[in-house]
Amino acid sequence: MTAVSAGRRRPVRPARVVLHLFLGTVAVGWLFPILWAVLTSFRSYEYTAANGYVSLGGWTIDNYVTAWRTAEFGKHFLNSAYITVPAVLLTLFLASCVAFVIARFSWKLNIALLGLFTAANLLPQQALLIPLFRMFTEIPLPAWMSDSELLYDSYWGLILVNVAFQCGFCVFVLSNYMKALPHELYEAAMVDGASVWRQYWQVTLPLCRPALAALATLEVTWIYNEFFWATVLMRTGDKFPVTSSLNNLRGEFFTDNNLVSAGSVLVAIPTLVIFFLLQKQFVRGLTLGASKG
Amino acid sequence: MSRPRSQAEYLARLVPPSVAGLNRRSLLAGASGAGALLGTGLLAGCGDSDSGSGGDAKNVSLGSNQSDPKPKDVVAKVMDGFKTSSGVTVDINTVDHNTFQENINNYLQGKPDDVFTWFAGYRMRFFAAKGLAGDLSDVWGKLDGYSDAFKKASTGDDGKQYFVPASYYPWAVFYRKSVWQQRGYEVPKTLDDLNTLGAQMKKDGLNPIAFADKDGWPAMGTFDILNLRINGYQFHIDLMAGKEAWTSDKVKKVFDTWAGLLPLHQPDSLGRTWQEAAQSLQQKKSGMYLLGLFVGQQFSGADLEDLDFFTFPEVDSTIGAKALDAPIDGYMMARKPKSKDAAQKLLTYLGSKEAADITVKNDPSTLVANSGADTGAYTALQKKAAELVGSATEIAQFLDRDTRPDFASTVMIPALQQFIKDPKDISGLLTSVENQKKSIFTS
Repeated sequence: MTAVSAGRRRPVRPARVVLHLFLGTVAVGWLFPILWAVLTSFRSYEYTAANGYVSLGGWTIDNYVTAWRTAEFGKHFLNSAYITVPAVLLTLFLASCVAFVIARFSWKLNIALLGLFTAANLLPQQALLIPLFRMFTEIPLPAWMSDSELLYDSYWGLILVNVAFQCGFCVFVLSNYMKALPHELYEAAMVDGASVWRQYWQVTLPLCRPALAALATLEVTWIYNEFFWATVLMRTGDKFPVTSSLNNLRGEFFTDNNLVSAGSVLVAIPTLVIFFLLQKQFVRGLTLGASKG
Repeated sequence: MSRPRSQAEYLARLVPPSVAGLNRRSLLAGASGAGALLGTGLLAGCGDSDSGSGGDAKNVSLGSNQSDPKPKDVVAKVMDGFKTSSGVTVDINTVDHNTFQENINNYLQGKPDDVFTWFAGYRMRFFAAKGLAGDLSDVWGKLDGYSDAFKKASTGDDGKQYFVPASYYPWAVFYRKSVWQQRGYEVPKTLDDLNTLGAQMKKDGLNPIAFADKDGWPAMGTFDILNLRINGYQFHIDLMAGKEAWTSDKVKKVFDTWAGLLPLHQPDSLGRTWQEAAQSLQQKKSGMYLLGLFVGQQFSGADLEDLDFFTFPEVDSTIGAKALDAPIDGYMMARKPKSKDAAQKLLTYLGSKEAADITVKNDPSTLVANSGADTGAYTALQKKAAELVGSATEIAQFLDRDTRPDFASTVMIPALQQFIKDPKDISGLLTSVENQKKSIFTS
């Protein structure tokens, strides 16, 4: 474990060895559970039952086939998309609107408004369970919007809940980002006669792209992983998002851990894909200001 | 005011309130609803009436917790049978077993399916007493083939029936015939016999009684059977319902007896799942195992045929050994089904011999509750289990089904695990259980 990068040879100092040892240990600590799950997911239950998990052998991909089939992942991945895509778009749009107002206009309630959004972020969601549940069972929807005819047990309800709970954080991040944009840009825009909407849509948002991309990555992961509201505010098993349907792999008396591992790996894949797709944006967001001077 | 069924109908109704004569209150209600965000706020004031005017009895919905592949398939087949016999289709809403169970409170207070799967015993009575389940006395008038024990288990506190039993499984002591034959063991008839047998097994290098309590619930089976044998069914049910004191000498005696048996149990049970304990029986390392009939899931082929059981031996000759745990699964009706007629028709079918026959034919691992069913396809083990339950004088439902769910999970699981860890301080443990019981049952 020596550092031979950058062409120039540096003497290997003990501090550096310790640092690398530490980094290596932490990396293994983080990766271990994931790799263990991946490893387990490729082994048959019969083999691990007989030989224990600290062994090698019994390789198979049957777990993936069975998991996909019994938990009906195809259908449930779609359900997750129905909830996640609109919820993320709506959250980013609404949050950027609020953040724009907070960052660009000075009126008395600015700080109070930002405080409200940030404070709501700290509210434990579970505490709102009962009032929300009652409300949702009382608010009707027309039949063409949801076959439950209520906000309860409809995608609309879940999208709303997610938007409401995610807005606070996004407003906080975006308003700070927007405050850092140079003020002269807006003066120039105003001189050119740009309306408020235009300042928002054509000046601010393009500049916020890195922040929006970073938030989109986080929000997709969070809303996609959201499990609590989907279980409580949904009643129809066929409408559950994929995280809740993972439970379908647990038997009543008997749980095949290898099968559950395979299911979990499948469920984790979309978040990884999103992260690697948007990674470039994410990193650009960090360095964008630096190169401009 | 009924709801619009199509988009056109919906749009036609979005006339200004001043024209439509919508009153002020419903407009306010509409605006305050979060529906306003979606632009449907105007509608929100209109909807307190029952959904669906309900004339069409061509369709009934079923909420099912049977999410394991095999039982799920059986439910679908039974519903097909109902469709052919009545012409009514059933929409099955399957939710995985654990989620369904944890959400039952929400589910029933929200908008439940017309008919739903649930458990007999206290868990059924609890929701019936809260008015969250429909009265099925009419349906019971049309059912036959059920013993009194089943009817008792389906009856709520008010004496009406709220439940139709479908299947069940008994708890008993399982063992491998080949091991017992080879060593010449005899089925114990009394607690003393059991102790002697256990000592002999230890001498032969076996774990006398396989045991696991990592998940918390398996030990409840041991407590149940000891309480049933020592204090009898009525005391057990009253204790579960919070009517008897946990600090009484009767309960203390149960734990004392258990403490005496603990040395015969497999040690370090808190780190073991029941599957692992069952495997020790299957691998001939343990002599016997007190568990439900589902223990057979860990056996296959010739091993399964080698499996046999006996009911837990008598402790007190005045009480006998006729009561046992045999959790019953079945169906209930929502308090306000869309069509009561169709829902009751479905429940009558679910309790019938035809439905039971379909179940027996397609799932060899359950026992059906209807005694009229054709049980020719049962395995020897199933036949014996059915006889055992048939001859039982009383059937308990298992601790977590016979008492409040919160008491079972938050008080009893830790208490029993504590006892297994340290069986000495019984009275301290029981005082703590009693205190927690008081606060839970009075809330």
